Amino acid sequence: MIADSISQGFQWNFNENDQEFSLHGSLRPQRSEEMNSCISALENSVSGVSGRFYVNVRRLVRMNNVAFHAFAGKILDLVRGRSDLKVHVTTSSVVGWATRKFAVLETMSENITVGEYDNEFYPGQTFLEEGGFIPILRTQTKLTWRHERAILQRHGLEPGLQVADICCGIGDFAVLLQKEFQPDRLVALDHSRSSLDYARKVATDFGIRGIDYVFGDASEMLLESDQFDFVTCRHSLQVFDRPELILQELLRICKPGGRIYITNEKNSHCLGEPRSESIQRTYNEVARLWAHFNMDIELGPKSRRYLIDAGLEDIQMESFMVTNLDGDPQDFADIIQSWEDVYAGKMAVERGDSEEQIREFRQGFQDHIFAAKHPRGYAGWPIWVASGRKPK
Amino acid sequence: MQATSEGMSLNSDVPQMLHMDLDIKDFCSDWAHCDLMSGYLARMVSHNRLDSLLFSNLYSSALNELLETVFRVHGEDGKLECAVRRQGNHDRIELTFPADQPTFETYRQAIEKVQASDAEALYLEALFTEDEPDAGLGLLELGVDYGARLTIDRLENGRMCLVAELALEDETE
Repeated sequence: MIADSISQGFQWNFNENDQEFSLHGSLRPQRSEEMNSCISALENSVSGVSGRFYVNVRRLVRMNNVAFHAFAGKILDLVRGRSDLKVHVTTSSVVGWATRKFAVLETMSENITVGEYDNEFYPGQTFLEEGGFIPILRTQTKLTWRHERAILQRHGLEPGLQVADICCGIGDFAVLLQKEFQPDRLVALDHSRSSLDYARKVATDFGIRGIDYVFGDASEMLLESDQFDFVTCRHSLQVFDRPELILQELLRICKPGGRIYITNEKNSHCLGEPRSESIQRTYNEVARLWAHFNMDIELGPKSRRYLIDAGLEDIQMESFMVTNLDGDPQDFADIIQSWEDVYAGKMAVERGDSEEQIREFRQGFQDHIFAAKHPRGYAGWPIWVASGRKPK
Repeated sequence: MQATSEGMSLNSDVPQMLHMDLDIKDFCSDWAHCDLMSGYLARMVSHNRLDSLLFSNLYSSALNELLETVFRVHGEDGKLECAVRRQGNHDRIELTFPADQPTFETYRQAIEKVQASDAEALYLEALFTEDEPDAGLGLLELGVDYGARLTIDRLENGRMCLVAELALEDETE
């Protein structure tokens, strides 16, 4: 299922600013001479750099030993020939063979290091993966599903389609999709191994079959082009510092005529009564806090622009409000408490906020919970849904 | 090219998933056949794995090295048969092809290196040699890096079978 467009041939390029030489595609030559122009380019690139030279093989999907012998051997020659030169090779854990294959270079020279590109993919991923966030994600999905179940149909989802849920997280939305819409095929992709492990366990426990949970980088997926009728990506463009890259990939894997469906938030529009002022103040601060970590929790209403800029047509957009009246108010309160724990308890601390600032920040969350549980109160969390059709 | 699915091999208790065969001369008429066959078979056998993308990528890499080895070292006339089998997380690739005695001997020596106590050192030595890489490098990599169990069998009619047993899915977790 590796994308054909990626596996056909290979390219390389050198980014002088970053001192980075990148290899893309599939490298399975018969003879090492076929690597000559690439090796020359590598030599030329290295000749102009000082200090650390980066070799990026994240998008190198396939490489045989002929190619590795020529390429890795040249890297080794280069560091042995220049004592000032250090080389770092960046691999991707999405490409299973790459890290262990290149890791042997570390054993050959102390001036070569090899590392996987993973941890910095989502700026907020570590916040979300740590500390018991999973139950809250399940509650969030439970509350949003009450609305999206009908919304998805309005945006074109129907039984029997080829569906991809990109950035599927813990996979609970995919399970609901599978049950409600019975897609012909459902691929759920995420870049968190722990979330996927959880997703597979839940699917097994619940006897859900047919969901293909795969590990992958949403901005550089190895899925083939033009194969899905309906591609969902929920609450994820907002946690990625380059949402347009993900959109390009969603567009690529979507069939011409298929639809891309995204949901995002605008946290500063969270509301509640009573204590609305305190609530408003805190959620304005949430927006600033996320921006500090290069995430845009205000992205929701910008969805239409993103979809148009990505080249989609027939854009449909709407919003809905998850509220304390959606079932048990305690569910809503639990979500807000988890936000406080992560945003005030971790992110604000990491930003360097003072204790007083954090205390004030926390107060708005507590007031939101107060509003949610108040017998005459109202508390809301707005979400924007947008979808567009890939041109035929 | 012929393909069958399902069924058990006469000489293996591991269920067969796919069997392909083609004339060794046709196979060796184009180097790209190694890539195409490994990519195609990897797709076919990866759909119901724990992680189909990771598995397909690893399986294709392993099978490609086996096919490239056969492309370089094989006998004159006959079919190349490729059978892939699976039982649980255990995958088995069987390549059967024409092999005269020197060809078989080449594989025997390569397998000996894979099974040697200093296989890892031999692998690094082969990987970074100044000369052209040895034809057995791919087998060494499978043994050392993929943890594959490699065996060979001498068959009748001047043929041999190269078998690789792999547990790729464990590696991806």
